[in-house]
Amino acid sequence: MLLEASRLTMAFGAFKAVDDASVAVNEGEVLGLIGPNGAGKSTFFNCLTGDLRPTSGTVHFDGRDVTRLTPEQRARLGIARTFQVPLTFESMSVLDNVMIGAFLRHHAAAAARDKALTVIGEVGLLGFADASAKSLGTPGRKRLEIARALASDPKVLLLDEAMAGLTPAEIRAGIDLVRQIHRRGITLVIVEHIMEVIVSLADRVVVFHQGREIARGTPSEVTRHELVIEAYLGKRHAAKLSGGAA
Amino acid sequence: MMRRSLPLLLFAALALLYPLLVAGSEVYQRLGALVVLSAIGASAWNLIGGYAGQVSVGHAVFFGAGAYAALAGYAQFGMPPVAGAPIGVAVAILIAALIGVPTLRLSGHYFSMATIAVAELVRVLVTNWEWLGGAQGISGPAVPRTVLDLSFTSAVPYYYIFLAVLAAILFGTWRIEKSRMGFYLRAIKDSERAARSLGVAAGRYKLYAYMLSAGLTAVAGALYAIMFGFIDPESGCGILISVKMLIMAALGGAGLLFGPLVGALILVPLEEISNSLLGGKGAGLTFVVYGAMIVVIARFLPSGLLALFAGRMRPAGKPSETEPSHAA
Repeated sequence: MLLEASRLTMAFGAFKAVDDASVAVNEGEVLGLIGPNGAGKSTFFNCLTGDLRPTSGTVHFDGRDVTRLTPEQRARLGIARTFQVPLTFESMSVLDNVMIGAFLRHHAAAAARDKALTVIGEVGLLGFADASAKSLGTPGRKRLEIARALASDPKVLLLDEAMAGLTPAEIRAGIDLVRQIHRRGITLVIVEHIMEVIVSLADRVVVFHQGREIARGTPSEVTRHELVIEAYLGKRHAAKLSGGAA
Repeated sequence: MMRRSLPLLLFAALALLYPLLVAGSEVYQRLGALVVLSAIGASAWNLIGGYAGQVSVGHAVFFGAGAYAALAGYAQFGMPPVAGAPIGVAVAILIAALIGVPTLRLSGHYFSMATIAVAELVRVLVTNWEWLGGAQGISGPAVPRTVLDLSFTSAVPYYYIFLAVLAAILFGTWRIEKSRMGFYLRAIKDSERAARSLGVAAGRYKLYAYMLSAGLTAVAGALYAIMFGFIDPESGCGILISVKMLIMAALGGAGLLFGPLVGALILVPLEEISNSLLGGKGAGLTFVVYGAMIVVIARFLPSGLLALFAGRMRPAGKPSETEPSHAA
């Protein structure tokens, strides 16, 4: 068990965005978190990274209780992430952006630069090393965020809707990139809206709805799960769908 | 390398020769010393306000700490003013640590407002503190007792002392800029949240930068007090001192190594000219002019003058042609 959230609740006032959710991520797997809008995926995700401190429950990483640790402390232990809306360092070049990640394990600037250039090559941004981050479009920024996170040599990488806003061709290329990262032995947690991405990448899927887990299993299991179809399509359409199948 | 260092060498040579070039004019020698002194303060501010993007409008506190330490040491204990400078630096760093811990958590304008509040509080405090001369202020040695008092009639010795200090600060800043800390400060400026997700202890780095900036600002304050031999609450802790540091850095280019120096080169002569034209009547007008400058810089030159010439980063070109395709 590399990363484990137990009985996590995140309440904003009376509203429980995440309600008593427990999810464990095994080392080396790709875990998908899905659910309709407002299901609490991102809130749950931010509790794992330390951006939010849960109201109750615990988060363990690599055998340590990290519930009270800050994002930077968790990053040092090996948790890296990307953001749903890319937060690239806009005044910097692509290379400098990735160097920020590389500096975590390489304190000298020359070593950090070498590490960053290697990672930039791996994610296919080499021609853009000197370009300003500001000049990249959405796919470029998402790729840059992944590069930056990889440069910090994480054990687990959490991708928050890394494919949102991409064209189908870009999504296919993105899926290839994630597979390539996974082959390097990095455990992945992906929050995703796009079913195609989940089906082709995730070993296991946990489905959230209204802050609670409603299903878990392999992608094909959960996509056939009655509650999941209901959560995505609404009761009426779900009934129609199962009626048609019968 | 050559293209970047050649203009720098020329500029350094010009700076070294400047007092000789204007040998006949005490006014210009004095102006030179003032420009360099202002550049020291603005460069110190640049560490936290420029590189780390935490816009302090309360650096007068640290300037005042240096200035008052230099002259209070003389007034109370007969120490040479320069001996009080390290005390001022230490006090400034201590104050920065005390106010930095709570205020650096605030983001954007809230931090700026908190620093103004603290600075004004300190000014009022100093005005009512008789040990520091109260509203009347305190003076340094009227006649130099030894050379240690650093009291000269000519501005030229001051010019060279200031120039040496400025060179040291710029060299140190350059080293920071190239190091992990420099990268981290810029990352914090762009997105603190993203920086933290990559392991940057943002709170700690901001505090380091703030303390370092405060200590160097105290050096500027001490040098001011040594040259002018007089300090009162307005000239030591007034809000104009904070505002001037900010404007100089912003005009030249906040977060750029030579930005504050360029700003000082433009603003200090302008200020001297307007002072001589307006005489004593311009005191209130100074605030109006500085206010207008803030508006103009924020609207038209948010990255400063030097940024206009810094073509270091090329754009990625037209997205359709050069966008890093995910299919690469």
